Amino acid sequence: MAKQRPSLLLLLSLTSLLLSPPPAFSFSDESPTARRILVLVDDLALRSSHSIFFDSLVSRGYQLEFKLADDPSLSLQRYGQFLYDGLVLFAPSVSRFGGSLDQSKVLEFVDAGHDLILAVDSNASDLVRGIATDSGADFDEDPEAVVIDHLSYAVSDADGDHTLIASDNLIKSNVILGDKAIEAPILFRGIGHSVNPANTLVLKALTASPSAYSANPKTKLSSPPSLTGSSISLVSVMQARNNARVLISGSLELFSNRFLRSSVQKAGSKTIYDKSGNEQFVTEAAKWVFHERGHLKAVNVKHNKVGETTEPGIYRINDDLEYSVEIYEWSGKRWEPYVADDVQVQFFMMSPYVLKTMSTNKKGLYSTSFKVPDVYGVFQFKVEYERLGYTSLSLAKQIPVRPFRHNEYERFIPAAFPYYAASFSTMGAFFIFSIVYLYHK
Amino acid sequence: MAKGTNDAKLLIQSLRKAYAATPTSLKIIDLYVVYAVATALIQVAYMAMVGSFPFNSFLSGVLSCVGTAVLAVCLRIQVNKDNKEFKDLPPERAFADFVLCNLVLHLVIMNFLG
Repeated sequence: MAKQRPSLLLLLSLTSLLLSPPPAFSFSDESPTARRILVLVDDLALRSSHSIFFDSLVSRGYQLEFKLADDPSLSLQRYGQFLYDGLVLFAPSVSRFGGSLDQSKVLEFVDAGHDLILAVDSNASDLVRGIATDSGADFDEDPEAVVIDHLSYAVSDADGDHTLIASDNLIKSNVILGDKAIEAPILFRGIGHSVNPANTLVLKALTASPSAYSANPKTKLSSPPSLTGSSISLVSVMQARNNARVLISGSLELFSNRFLRSSVQKAGSKTIYDKSGNEQFVTEAAKWVFHERGHLKAVNVKHNKVGETTEPGIYRINDDLEYSVEIYEWSGKRWEPYVADDVQVQFFMMSPYVLKTMSTNKKGLYSTSFKVPDVYGVFQFKVEYERLGYTSLSLAKQIPVRPFRHNEYERFIPAAFPYYAASFSTMGAFFIFSIVYLYHK
Repeated sequence: MAKGTNDAKLLIQSLRKAYAATPTSLKIIDLYVVYAVATALIQVAYMAMVGSFPFNSFLSGVLSCVGTAVLAVCLRIQVNKDNKEFKDLPPERAFADFVLCNLVLHLVIMNFLG
């Protein structure tokens, strides 16, 4: 491009290299933890009011870029390449994104395999509601409704209208929420959403208690609320089929410093917790969303006949074979061996003829051996592994199976021995008969 | 009925006496035929129990027994001196036919046995 002033350009590029931060590891299969995250906010004051959450992300190596949601220079892509690996949308009241961003572009971002954290509050605009619906979470249609719980509210609630909820109905998953149990309840103030029970991809991470309902706290209820009880989800997570992860929270304050630091006492309970469960919850959930936990890869699929090491191009029926695969889990920094006892392999042709659970050597190698069934055709070694909170593994390796060659059958059929004996005895009897007949006196 | 059983006993006794009068060579052939048919019946009983899995082996076994029995019966007819029809047939010729046919039969059997 600039052949005119090479020296000046060189000087400029050198300076920019020195001044700019070191190159970021972008999202890749070798290093699945997203690095560059775009944070869209309504108000830049969020940067300080939610600083504990953002600092926890930065301390784990992410590069956050804060922008106003209606910033005219916003864009997620340039020349077909994504500029960021993750998106945090803390802009509930934005009605139109600035720049080239809109609802379909956000959906495209997630469809490309990138992660999203979305938090709204009671001024949620139609735009963010639409993004949440795309991800499987349907917010209450009434724009004035918030989640109210008269039995499970936090005692520190100053307003007294029981919109500040202390909830401890968490999803039971060590992958999503970490190994340590969250003991203190989690403070929540915002709107509730429902998830379609037929949707297998979205899970309720934090559910409202059975006494909660979604309604306008300022007016009297004229009809029974549409969202009640445990069908209200306060925080949901979704893992798409391309393993992109989305977290949708009905409360932006759940991430705020005030809630993270606050003590909590649930109504009706005597225990006062010094610190709410919010910090542990948001940290662990963010770890899961950005693939620091539960991201699996399967490599080195191998199969061979028992006793051999090379992979044959075809098997024969009733052969004994072994199959092995290595599965690793990303720990945020490196690939660790994945240890489980429920990984199964199928020997599949229209339906699984063999389904075996593989045994592991605890270093990530899963193997098993079985006998090829008595059917010939083109089979597949299939591993379909889907567990709550983990990325789904779907491996298939095709292998044909042939019948016996005509000289591979057993030579003498044991069931036919009486017939063999009879035929030979008849021949013998004929021989003896002819001797006796000819030479008798 | 006493008369019935008496008649049966008399019948069997007269059959036995008549049979005792047959020449020894014919008796030898009769013994051979009985052996062959018995072997065939044993094979059929076995197949009824176990099922007809190698059907070719079953057929081959039964056919060897039945075929050789048939050939032996033909030999007996041709060799029997009381038989007017085969008066001019030398018994050596009959026996040679018997041997050759049995050879062909057992060749086929060995092939079909599997």
